[in-house]
Amino acid sequence: MRGVCTVNDLLPFLVVGVTTGSVYGLAAMGLVLTYKTSGIFNFAHGSIAAVSAFVYYDLRTLRGLPWPVALGVAVIVVPPLIALLMERVTRSLAAGTVATKIVATIGLQLIVMSALLAGYGGAALDFPGFLPTRTVTVIGVNVGIDQLTSAIVAAACALGFFAFFRLSAMGVRMRAVVDNPDLLELSGTSAFAVRSRAWLIGCWFAAASGVLLAPQLGLDVLLLTLLVVQAYGAAAVGLFSSLPLTYAGGLLIGVLAALATKWVSHSETFAGLPPAMPFVVLFAVLLLVGRGRLAEIGGHRPAPASKPLMSRASARITAVVAVLLAAGVPLVAASKLPVYSSALVFVLIFASLHLLVRTSGQVSLAHAALVAVGSSTFSHLVVGAGLPWLLAVLLAGVVAVPVGMLVAIPAIRLSGLYLALATFGLGLLLERAVYGTSWMFGATNTLPAPRPALFESDEAFYYVLLAFAVAGSLLIALVGRSRLGRLLRAMADSPTTLSTLGLGVNVTRVTVFAISAFVAGVAGALYASQGRSATGAPFLSYTSLTWLTVLVLCAGLRAAGPSLAAVLVAVVPAYLTDGTLAQALPVLFGFGALLVALYEARAAKRRGSGQPLDELDAPQGSRSGERLGVPGPAAQRLTVARRARVARSAPARVRVGTGLAKGATR
Amino acid sequence: MLQLDGISAGYGGARVLRDVSLWLPPKSVVALLGTNGAGKTTLLRVASGLLAPTSGRLSVDGEDLTGKRAHTLARSGVCHVPEGRGVFPTLTVKENILIQAAGGDVGEAVERAVSVFPVLGQKLGQLAGSLSGGQQQMLALAHAYVTEADYVLLDEVSMGLAPVVVDEIFEFLGRLADDGRALLLVEQYVSRALELADYVYLMNRGRIEFAGEPGELDSDRLVAQYLGAHT
Repeated sequence: MRGVCTVNDLLPFLVVGVTTGSVYGLAAMGLVLTYKTSGIFNFAHGSIAAVSAFVYYDLRTLRGLPWPVALGVAVIVVPPLIALLMERVTRSLAAGTVATKIVATIGLQLIVMSALLAGYGGAALDFPGFLPTRTVTVIGVNVGIDQLTSAIVAAACALGFFAFFRLSAMGVRMRAVVDNPDLLELSGTSAFAVRSRAWLIGCWFAAASGVLLAPQLGLDVLLLTLLVVQAYGAAAVGLFSSLPLTYAGGLLIGVLAALATKWVSHSETFAGLPPAMPFVVLFAVLLLVGRGRLAEIGGHRPAPASKPLMSRASARITAVVAVLLAAGVPLVAASKLPVYSSALVFVLIFASLHLLVRTSGQVSLAHAALVAVGSSTFSHLVVGAGLPWLLAVLLAGVVAVPVGMLVAIPAIRLSGLYLALATFGLGLLLERAVYGTSWMFGATNTLPAPRPALFESDEAFYYVLLAFAVAGSLLIALVGRSRLGRLLRAMADSPTTLSTLGLGVNVTRVTVFAISAFVAGVAGALYASQGRSATGAPFLSYTSLTWLTVLVLCAGLRAAGPSLAAVLVAVVPAYLTDGTLAQALPVLFGFGALLVALYEARAAKRRGSGQPLDELDAPQGSRSGERLGVPGPAAQRLTVARRARVARSAPARVRVGTGLAKGATR
Repeated sequence: MLQLDGISAGYGGARVLRDVSLWLPPKSVVALLGTNGAGKTTLLRVASGLLAPTSGRLSVDGEDLTGKRAHTLARSGVCHVPEGRGVFPTLTVKENILIQAAGGDVGEAVERAVSVFPVLGQKLGQLAGSLSGGQQQMLALAHAYVTEADYVLLDEVSMGLAPVVVDEIFEFLGRLADDGRALLLVEQYVSRALELADYVYLMNRGRIEFAGEPGELDSDRLVAQYLGAHT
């Protein structure tokens, strides 16, 4: 019978899947171990793998050292140094908010990735293998000895570690630090010392997976960094907690990806599916698993962002001055005018991201995908359907809204770290599985995108963009100051308190994602129009990470933050004639974001968090009450506002009263 | 002697302790009394190194340990049994005792723990989180006996337990005291704490208001204290 696969057909894919999956599982175990013990999810885990692969390449190929030496340095000597750094950084981050922690490790990742790109270039390099590539036959399937060896090495590491974690005294201490670090300290064991051991093992595993995967993939910074992102999917299968399940998750993802390759080999539409498999798994787990089973580790508590560098009044003055300056730009910019035009588009992008991240405290890493959807829709509407330009731009924003709501689905169920992971997964999924299809950006991956007939020239179009940037920023500012804005800030304070006040948070969450998506979609349309073409290349999921770090870098400037971020992203690189410096710019962004995160975490620590509340005799300004449901300042303002409303509408109380009385007599 | 001199401490901008001095001499029992929010728990957190004081000096047997972290103090002979259940719920009873022994001989530690609370002997392989509240508290308290710490700080160890368990726990505290350990007791059962105590400190709003022997303590003052009447 046709269509039924026999076991023999599937076997080769199963074997390939298990061999790569074993290495994913190893990387994922390192990730979960460090997350559990330190409470910090290391987005830079993949960068560690990339570093070790490049160290090996550098020593072996460029310096000609024998492979055991190069391998020893890359896998055994380098990881402890990274572990030392990671332990120090995460120790300082402990008191920070979820967003702070996410941004810090994303900053680290950006530093490593950009530095590797600057040092070795973006093209894939030949990775000098160290294992024999002859094939042997295992259960009727031909497998390379190198693949088989890596799978076995990874499995042995995983098993050995699991035994260590269960049985050894240090393993018990690691589990104790997960349970209660303070109590461990009270028992005479330094929690920091235990955590640094966990980081050491985590980094070793990451490094090992890096050199084990590189021969199959070639030495490509993005690919390697992303490849250990497969670990996210595996970690999700283990619910970010169980180590054996995490390893099994690695196997599962390896096998699923291999099987997907077989099944989609004749389908163009789903060609992007196999590489996106880990994110399908990640997304599915995050959406389907009961919320209670995904407990966040590390005593995250909402602390207010540190004090803005600007008062509201001076931010307003700055805004007016900035608009006036921007209006004068075409007079002086000359040939660099397109740079400023795209900066104006970025003002919109950052304003929409600002609303999500800074005002509502929700980290979304799928923002670039929303902009890409805007770009694509705009082209389809204006070229394909022949709609007027302005209508097409606004409709592009409208079409981005459902996509934004799709992003909001995880936001309803998840918060903090898991929201960031789910959105990151969604962004990657869209990038891998949708960007490449012909209905997104056409067969050539580029669609035409005209400018309005009346504003064809760069200069005229610049003013159109300026108008949009001002309007968009005003919209975001108005939202920030409206009741919705107060709700969003209160939600960032304490969703629990908001619920106890009888204010549902789900509608608020969806609304903010919708508004943000609309503005991002419009920005996408304008971006395409400015460049006269729509394409997905500028909106890879890693772009979302860069945007987030840059936005955080400019966070202290309140509403002026998005504008400065736009200048940093769009204008500054154009003036860096020195190529090295331009390449180093993302490294600086990463450093900047890391420093801001460390600073905010330190400020939060000074304000104090996680302490017994009943002994505080002056809790003014302290928002450390999440656990006890004590409202923070924003929530308190809401209470007052609600009381005022209740007082105005007194009859409502009577109705409630009779309703209760009826209920009581029944 | 465990010595706290002129300690001020707090969380963030809020000060909880203001210039507090408290001495715990070797082999003595000191009761620390006061209403909720007086700063007793914070004082214990400072004494065990969980919270660094903003000013003042903390020393153990003459050695200045101000600003040292909790694990250093634990190794200098200070054992703090924290409020709530001081156990690792996802570890087995035996693994909990292994952590308590802090690198010492585990077999001997288990033996000592079982010698004071025999019920733990039948539960060694069981997860601590699955024990009853009283058994969890016994496991937490066993720490004090397992480590041979000279100074034991006990924060509301009888809270939320059945009276019969409370009896057993106070009996254990008596044995600890007889064993030559110095105890610093924060207790809701004031009269029982006073039966054991050699000295009493009374705290109110982050300050020590009274220090002396139990006999000197004016019962009116104690009542006023607990009814929350501030002077």
